[in-house]
Amino acid sequence: MESSSPDRAAFELKAMQDSIYREKILRARRQTPEERLADVFELTNCVFARMHDGAMWQAGLTNAEEGWEIVRRRLNRLRKMHDAGRFVTEPPIRQS
Amino acid sequence: MTIEELACAVLDACEAENVEHMLTGAFAHGLYGIPRSTKDVDVVVSINVGDAISKVVSQLSGVVRFEPQIQFDTLTWGKRLVGESVDPPPFKVELFELFDDPFVLSQFRRKRKMYSVQLQRETWLPAPEDVVVQKLRWGRNKDLDDARDVLAVQGPETLDMTYIEDWCTRHGTLTRLREALDGIPPLD
Repeated sequence: MESSSPDRAAFELKAMQDSIYREKILRARRQTPEERLADVFELTNCVFARMHDGAMWQAGLTNAEEGWEIVRRRLNRLRKMHDAGRFVTEPPIRQS
Repeated sequence: MTIEELACAVLDACEAENVEHMLTGAFAHGLYGIPRSTKDVDVVVSINVGDAISKVVSQLSGVVRFEPQIQFDTLTWGKRLVGESVDPPPFKVELFELFDDPFVLSQFRRKRKMYSVQLQRETWLPAPEDVVVQKLRWGRNKDLDDARDVLAVQGPETLDMTYIEDWCTRHGTLTRLREALDGIPPLD
């Protein structure tokens, strides 16, 4: 393999990433603020429905509430990871 | 329950108690940047009404179950109360108390009203410049991506960059701002 191949692959990957990102930006620019806000609602409701579908399928469940319990546990685990070190339950110690 | 039904319930609770408020988080980012899904409804609540958070929490009983423990963010020591929707899906609600941080106060003063078809109402949201400054201040990978998205979609030429640079200077985040701007690909 030529020594320049990894550089070329990285260059091509970056170009592809930029192209995808550019399309996302241009699409968002074509939308009105109201349309973009509407997308947040739609995407969120869809993502939760897909997470629920996935949990039900993975655990072989037929009870929807049990599926939501799995989603709840997974999201809480993610939240703990994201919040680690960022939020605490004790206020700062005030220096006199 | 849908995320918009939950957002409406939170806004109704604020309005019922005459508590000034604004939606933040993914709603603000989606309004000005590239829409993405979210797991929570984030609302900044003013404390001009005494014990505002308790009043909003009380209004939301039956819809949102709040954790009893107030949390403090380790960057600004602002207070946050987290709750979860009683009915599935398990959406989170985060209430942030307005406090005497100069940027937080400026952001709240500059909030603007927008009509949402999904919410069937006008609602308060931060200005785009403040979303950028806030995201750069938090500085997690997702926040930096969000700041870059808003800069890219709005275009720096349409934003008050002097305001953004001023706050970034105060917060020590000018390097993050430059990196976000450099991360925008050519759009022509």
